[in-house]
Amino acid sequence: MKGTMKHLFRILYGCLFLSILAGFGVHFYLSPHHYFVWENLPVFSALYGFIGCILIILGSKALGHRWLQKEEDYYDKPETIRSRDS
Amino acid sequence: MIDWFHPGLIYILGSALIPFFRGTLKKVYLLFIPALAFINLLLISKGVFLSEGKTWSLSFLGYDLVLGRIDPLSTVFAYVFVIASFCMMLFALHVKEDGQHIVAYLYVGSALGVVFSGDLLTLFFFWEIMAWSALFLIWYRKTKASFGAGLRYILVHFFGGACLLGGIFLHVQTTGSIAFETFQWGVGLNWTNLSSYLILLAFIINAAVPPLHAWLSDAYPEATVTGAVFLTAFTTKSAIYVLLRGFPGVELLIWLGAIMAVYGVVFAVLENDIRRLLAYHIISQVGYMVCGVGMGVVGTPAGEMAFNGAVAHAFSHILYKALLFMGAGAVLEVTGKSKLTELGGIYKYMPITFHLYMVGAYSISGFPLFNGFVSKTMVVQASAMWHLPIIWLMLEGASIGTFLHTGLKLPWGVWFAKGEPACKAKEPPWNMLVAMGITAFFCTLIGVYPKILYDMLPYPVHYEPYAPAHLVAMSQLLLFTFVAFWLLRKRLHGEPTITLDTDWFYRKAGERIIWFCEKPLMTFANFVDRFVLNAARALIWFSKNPAAAFEIKKKEMLLAGKRRLAKSVSTDVCEQALEEEKRKYPGELPGLTLGASIILILFSFLLYLALYLFAIP
Repeated sequence: MKGTMKHLFRILYGCLFLSILAGFGVHFYLSPHHYFVWENLPVFSALYGFIGCILIILGSKALGHRWLQKEEDYYDKPETIRSRDS
Repeated sequence: MIDWFHPGLIYILGSALIPFFRGTLKKVYLLFIPALAFINLLLISKGVFLSEGKTWSLSFLGYDLVLGRIDPLSTVFAYVFVIASFCMMLFALHVKEDGQHIVAYLYVGSALGVVFSGDLLTLFFFWEIMAWSALFLIWYRKTKASFGAGLRYILVHFFGGACLLGGIFLHVQTTGSIAFETFQWGVGLNWTNLSSYLILLAFIINAAVPPLHAWLSDAYPEATVTGAVFLTAFTTKSAIYVLLRGFPGVELLIWLGAIMAVYGVVFAVLENDIRRLLAYHIISQVGYMVCGVGMGVVGTPAGEMAFNGAVAHAFSHILYKALLFMGAGAVLEVTGKSKLTELGGIYKYMPITFHLYMVGAYSISGFPLFNGFVSKTMVVQASAMWHLPIIWLMLEGASIGTFLHTGLKLPWGVWFAKGEPACKAKEPPWNMLVAMGITAFFCTLIGVYPKILYDMLPYPVHYEPYAPAHLVAMSQLLLFTFVAFWLLRKRLHGEPTITLDTDWFYRKAGERIIWFCEKPLMTFANFVDRFVLNAARALIWFSKNPAAAFEIKKKEMLLAGKRRLAKSVSTDVCEQALEEEKRKYPGELPGLTLGASIILILFSFLLYLALYLFAIP
């Protein structure tokens, strides 16, 4: 199991490196049509994926813990004002 | 010879015969219905029945009801509905209850009815059958939670249906036509615009556009294992179809769609229930389609790209989302659990389910060689062609979140995570595995050979999904999303919570309104009630014998005054006399002579005259 994990990670590092390399390759040799400024950066997608993912996780979790997440029986519990009256 | 037979009617009429079959024959029959509908569609495409551009109509109350409008847009949706319904029924084949199969086919048939309807009355008719049959797919779970969720589901859809009907009537009133064509759209309020607003509102309720989306994430996860698979496909995608038909190029939808795409992703992070997590991703993915509808200005290259993209993505989405719900449903079926906190490490029991699920996960994430890649990128490309940088960033950001949850967090939490299996499990029945296999095959086939899909689209496709730049950008995005996931995977474990959403307004605030009606409002009402009743009772008492009543009241007041002035004086005798008088009341009424009666009558006439002369100006 440990060996396979190590092997998989080696493949992952290889893929990461290759995708960056391919980004530069495509940018300098094929120079495809650009729609936005940031496409001049060959590693833009990699950066966006990495930073975006971190922001989604941390941002959503903060939103959830501060406000949106409630205990599972939140809707089943009778309203507090109700129980006080009865 | 009949010129045409409605594919939806094959399902609707066919569902009535289901109880007459038994055993294997029933299973064959259940799969025969979609097969027949598929052959029917092929004949339509080949022009044997009713060729494209023609309609099939019958007249009703002076209007022409168009039950069959055949054009590329309706055929492509019909194809995917029929193909998906075959896979879904195969997945549900082991279910013993006939009722579940009947409502499932009513649901599919009415969705096909919506797709082929060429006028608004037919549309409304099938629209309502769709809402009702979907309700029973939820209620067949037979739990308290599913009952409540189903009730909320149908209430929201009642509201949507009422908006649609109101909009249709206004539309017919102002234009005089019931034809279902592109609606006039404009800012500012007049009768034509109002009808368009109402119809759009009904459509976006079914498309689950926030803040009107909560019915979806509330109800779908409470449906039966097999019912949920049906539900993922038809309601939202038929809404996309009617939006494409009625409101292409409405700019508002671009923003709504992009917000939807991100909204679903944010909420999916917080979800613990795997089917609810996937339901939030329906909202997110339908966001791409709604965005595509908004950008789909007919007649421009970018608009046609967006229009095609919305159709293509609906096609892909139906297949991979069904596959994902099948995977999650299979886990629920064999373990009875659907929460990340209760699952984990079951890979060694369910490896086949895992791998088939992952095909769906790769597809929804837009991995190259899977169908999400060839359709989602069309919408993203259209946003680039329209030069909408913020929309582009939002859509790409939603792609990151999609892979993060459906492709990484969910499978990690269900099949791996804890190391040791959290519960006993085994592979699901053969029909479920085969259904997942076939769906996975279609997802991959379209990804590898997108021409099949592109040839069906309404406009010619000038897009090469496998251009090197697209491939590299997508690979970078997904690979580095994985890196970030791996670093933060400890923070992504399930938490035993539920998430507040806009259904709070009718689940909690509604309860408060009921409390307000029951407590403060009722107290006030009771007070008014009692006051009026007492006043009436006093008046009745008084009018029994006004002269004696006056006497009694006078004595009462005198007695009270005496008591206050001189506390030492005994008033017992007077009190006893008064009690005696009250007991006798009204006593003997004074007899009136005829003359006195006439005077009284005349007096009342005089009062009336005075009122008439002075009080009324």
